[in-house]
Amino acid sequence: MIAAAAGGTVSCEDDSVPESANRSLPVRLDGVTKRYGRRTVLSDVSAEIPPGITGLVGPNGAGKSTLVRAILGLVRLAAGSVSVYGLDPAVAPRQVRQRVGVVPEDDATVPGLTGVEMVQYAARLSGLPATEGLRRAHEVLDWCDAGQERYRSVETLSVGMRQKVAFAAAIVHDPDLVILDEPTNGLDPLERRAMLGRLVTLARDHGKTILISTHVLRDVQSICDRLVLLVKGRIRLAGTIAALTETASEELRLRATGPLEQLVAALGERRVAARLTDDRRAVLLAAPTAEALAILWDEVARIGIDVMSLEPDRRPLEDVFLAALAAPEEASHAPA
Amino acid sequence: MPLHDVGYRPWTGRPRPRGAAGVIATTGIRLTWKNRWLRRVLFFAWSPAVMFAAGFFAFEQALDEGVITAGRTAIGRLDGLQMIGSLVAESLGGRLDDPAEARRTVWSRLLLAFMRAPQAMLLAVVVGLVAPRLIADDLRAKAWLFYFTRPLSRFDYILGKFGVLAVIVSLVTLLPALALWLVGVLVSPSISVALATWDLPLRIAGAAVAVTLPTALLALAYSSLTAETRIATFAWFATWVACWIAHGALSAADATAQADPQASLTATDDAAEQAARPRPRPRPRRFSWLARAAGIDGSADRWAWLSLFHAQGVVQAWIFGIERRLAAVLPSLAMLAAVTFGSLGLLFLRVDAPARA
Repeated sequence: MIAAAAGGTVSCEDDSVPESANRSLPVRLDGVTKRYGRRTVLSDVSAEIPPGITGLVGPNGAGKSTLVRAILGLVRLAAGSVSVYGLDPAVAPRQVRQRVGVVPEDDATVPGLTGVEMVQYAARLSGLPATEGLRRAHEVLDWCDAGQERYRSVETLSVGMRQKVAFAAAIVHDPDLVILDEPTNGLDPLERRAMLGRLVTLARDHGKTILISTHVLRDVQSICDRLVLLVKGRIRLAGTIAALTETASEELRLRATGPLEQLVAALGERRVAARLTDDRRAVLLAAPTAEALAILWDEVARIGIDVMSLEPDRRPLEDVFLAALAAPEEASHAPA
Repeated sequence: MPLHDVGYRPWTGRPRPRGAAGVIATTGIRLTWKNRWLRRVLFFAWSPAVMFAAGFFAFEQALDEGVITAGRTAIGRLDGLQMIGSLVAESLGGRLDDPAEARRTVWSRLLLAFMRAPQAMLLAVVVGLVAPRLIADDLRAKAWLFYFTRPLSRFDYILGKFGVLAVIVSLVTLLPALALWLVGVLVSPSISVALATWDLPLRIAGAAVAVTLPTALLALAYSSLTAETRIATFAWFATWVACWIAHGALSAADATAQADPQASLTATDDAAEQAARPRPRPRPRRFSWLARAAGIDGSADRWAWLSLFHAQGVVQAWIFGIERRLAAVLPSLAMLAAVTFGSLGLLFLRVDAPARA
């Protein structure tokens, strides 16, 4: 699935994408290098972003925004090439941007317009006729749960509402690729969950490719299929979330509430190897045999513990992220 | 809660992104029109046209009565309106012995005076009200991210913003001038006058373009240099005033040097003697401001190119066929071309600079 390429860069190849369809891959980066004066912002970045949801993560100044701008053809590259659905953004930026919708991190508003006018404006700039643009603007704003606030000036809207308007403006022309820069910034938990739900709907039900540039690893872990970690302009890590968080052990993680210490002690008495996690919120079961599982359920019922989940143990994405950051640059890797 | 939420649905229409400049222009005009002060100034901008329309009417009345050819000797027999018409014709240098030629000359010069004197001033005010916000506001609100992530180019964006200014400026220059021409035709004795003066609307359009292109692009270029509207506004008016003062100072120095032969290093004794003799007092010209505005009294002074206002006046006089010396026009023409292309280059560099940074 993931193959390390020369020069410490990583190429992600998804098994689900046949070779013959590579030309229509949403995004392909090949040796992308961008310099501002003497400062190299992107260095030999090679990656392929297949359909699905991909998280682009990295510390501040890693080059995420520049990479997004390279995908849109907004910056001139020092070396390498970018291909979006087989099109070079530097050669055919209009065609590329016709198929891409972008939610910028900053409030990018057009002063004086109301929310619905701004979405309609975006639709018309993307080529929709005026009447159709207005109808479509209301349609996507409805889907984004934007109520009557859509008739207020964008400058007076709350952060959450502005985010909804920006999201609606990005998808109003039905793009194939949606790029979001920090989409959950400033959102309350409910809005955050709703926003992530919309992204999942777009990707799963409508076949859109979503690229999320974010710092929030929790969001990445909850909805992304893949992750690209960018550090100092280089890809440090890339692959599916499942592969990156996989552990060598066969441990099972039991998430539950109740006297977990008592459960571990009871399991020990019955010779089932188990231990509490560092945060003392879960129990790791070392050898999940059928007999051990039967004992586990027996003790859970006896002690009265509320089980939330029992699943193969995975490394928290944060651990993966921190480990990759701490690793020397040459040790860029990608789990197979 | 939304009433008609049917979930996300794909859009199946055919996009036509080629009209992005038009979309930007129409939206910009709609937003600009919300400015109450702009609407007031635009309303006020049409008031000079009423005065000039009266001039057209008076001239046509005088011409219709056949008193123009009688010239000044007939003034005593004229009524007030005809007298005004006669004086307008005289001050604008119409050939009084030929009514058709007089009409052509007087109309051209009246239109030029209208476009130069009141409208060019109002144009500076209107552009100062509108232009600084057009790009500076986008930079402040980071709207460049909104624009340049969509299928439009820098050219579309600049053309759209220029379109906003062009429409607003044409409300001050082109449309009133065309309306004046139409008034002239309507108050003339025959509709055939429209055919006789068919080229004037084209000259009006040319003169309007000569004004609109450099001013609008320069103002937009200033707007693209800052996210602070007030700085762009200040730069615009400061340029206008500074150029005016520079032109005025140098022209005054020239005039002083010409009036005082001692100041001239090449002055001869004969010239000094001539200067010492009492000069015949020039006859005061009525409506002299109109004559100056129409470019009769030395429109192509050698420092005109220094000032946007004066350079535009010289080029407009050339377009109206009043100034025929190309050598006198060339410096102003070159300056306006330099301002136009320089501003355009600056705009191309600046409008999406944050996106490239």
